[in-house]
Amino acid sequence: MTNTGELKAFADSITAATSPFRNYLSDLHRKYLPLTDGAVADYIPELALADPSWFGVAVATVDGQVFDVGDCDRTFTIQSISKAFVYGLALEDNGRDYVNSKVGVEPTGEAFNAIVLDETTNRPYNPMVNAGAIATADLIKGKDGTERLKRMLDMFRRYTGRDHDINVPVFLSEKSTGNRNRAIAYLMLNFGMVGDRIDETLDLYFQQCSILVNARDLSLMAATLANGGVNPITGDRALDQRYVQDVVSIMLTCGMYDSSGDWAYRVGMPAKSGVGGGITAVSPGKLGIGTFSPPLDAKGNSLRGIQVCQQLSQEFGLHPFNVAAPPKDLATWIKGGEGLDSW
Amino acid sequence: MPKVIAIHSYRGGTGKSNLTANLATMVAQQGYRVGVVDTDLPSPGIHNIFGLEPEMMTKTLNSYLWGEAELADAAYDVSKSLDIAGAGQLFLVPSSCKANDIARVLKDGYDVRLLNDGFRQLVKTLELDYLFIDTHPGLSKETFLTIAISHCLLLIVRPDKQDYQGTAVTLDVARQLNVRHVQLVINKALSSVEPQALRQKVEETYSVPVAGLFPLSEDIVQLASEGVFCARYPKHPITQEFQAVARRIME
Repeated sequence: MTNTGELKAFADSITAATSPFRNYLSDLHRKYLPLTDGAVADYIPELALADPSWFGVAVATVDGQVFDVGDCDRTFTIQSISKAFVYGLALEDNGRDYVNSKVGVEPTGEAFNAIVLDETTNRPYNPMVNAGAIATADLIKGKDGTERLKRMLDMFRRYTGRDHDINVPVFLSEKSTGNRNRAIAYLMLNFGMVGDRIDETLDLYFQQCSILVNARDLSLMAATLANGGVNPITGDRALDQRYVQDVVSIMLTCGMYDSSGDWAYRVGMPAKSGVGGGITAVSPGKLGIGTFSPPLDAKGNSLRGIQVCQQLSQEFGLHPFNVAAPPKDLATWIKGGEGLDSW
Repeated sequence: MPKVIAIHSYRGGTGKSNLTANLATMVAQQGYRVGVVDTDLPSPGIHNIFGLEPEMMTKTLNSYLWGEAELADAAYDVSKSLDIAGAGQLFLVPSSCKANDIARVLKDGYDVRLLNDGFRQLVKTLELDYLFIDTHPGLSKETFLTIAISHCLLLIVRPDKQDYQGTAVTLDVARQLNVRHVQLVINKALSSVEPQALRQKVEETYSVPVAGLFPLSEDIVQLASEGVFCARYPKHPITQEFQAVARRIME
């Protein structure tokens, strides 16, 4: 890199820190920080340790600019957010037809942990409910559990540009209390929908939920999907471009648990939430959003995260079906302009 | 719309704090609400010019950066001693001059983005019309950020070779940071040099306007760091030159 390249890169990082868009996010953070509704997940003790005041908001554009405010370096377990991305890996490993034969793509009104399969096909309804996620994990190739986990971790590295670890206490807790998931897995084994290395697959599933990420990672994962499967900073391909639409459409229809319909109506950006407090939301061709705030609503989605995504969607016209001119123009707010005052 | 003015120089000892204090005072005397933040964390000093004693500084910029206070809690109203009448008010946010605090900043550093967030909050809370930022000399993360957020950057240059080169580098940085209004202030010009010729030469060299030119002045040196010059000597020719610079940034 030339000297001017170094100066430009550093200057860009500074102008990102001072851009009107980051100022906007900073005000958004300040606005929703005082929210005290909702409750931190406590079905395992490790999650109950989360501080309800932790709150981070990160936005990554498809040009590779990242704007973050609040607790964006603090790691937490990815939980259900992993399901969308592992589904992409399963598609790459097996092709669409085979994956479709094992897991459906239909939203369900049932709870995420319901023990229920499609009566005619015996498939789990979609890859975002636990049954579907376990069937999806079963499809990840590798000679043993270690190699399969390594392939997952490598995939997440391609999305975020950094190495990821497992939170071991969370994994062990999930494993020791995961009898319901074990029951779901054995029910699917009974119907021949999953292979017989079932304990290995369950471990893999508990491990994938225990991967540590931060809000910045979530913004880059979404931005990678928004950018056609290529990480906008590293240029690494994280997902075969043929399958980007598969992953993103499942996020739209099933990503926000039981409030996916409400979310599609109000926010519209395909998204996935996790009980660790994370949300990742995709605005195709534009940007990815990552939010982190542990208190959840009754449906299991991060309360502050919902507010942030909803306001960003409305003000910058990020709903994919929006055709009206949004109140704020994204490009102008990111770049700054003579007439724009974010002070 | 509030206006943020950064006062910077490539080298130390160019008179940044003095220029900042005088400009801020004059703008406040025009009836505006003005804030001054000393971001020179490693070598703070502007509080001396405003007569703010370290014992009175219970909160500082450092307290804010360490999450112990809002920036507005560290703002001290220094209007009284400066003949600021009417609606005008002048607030100073000092940096801590305790050795321990300076060491902590140097050792641990801080997230420079906090400066951006803090400045905005300060402007809102105190309803400021103008915010002046006194900087640490040279180029660092802090100065990059300060330059990037300023609506107007005043670069002080002393007419000698080292400073000429450093100023050229700083201007490159300012351009890369898309700063729209940059002006130069020449300080400590020798009496042997014809001012108009010097001004013209500097403007040609950098293609940047010169907002003011100050001679090497014993009057200022005598008063250095003890009181705001323009408030003490309102009729002095140097005060008139400060006024000329103040008018240009208020345009």
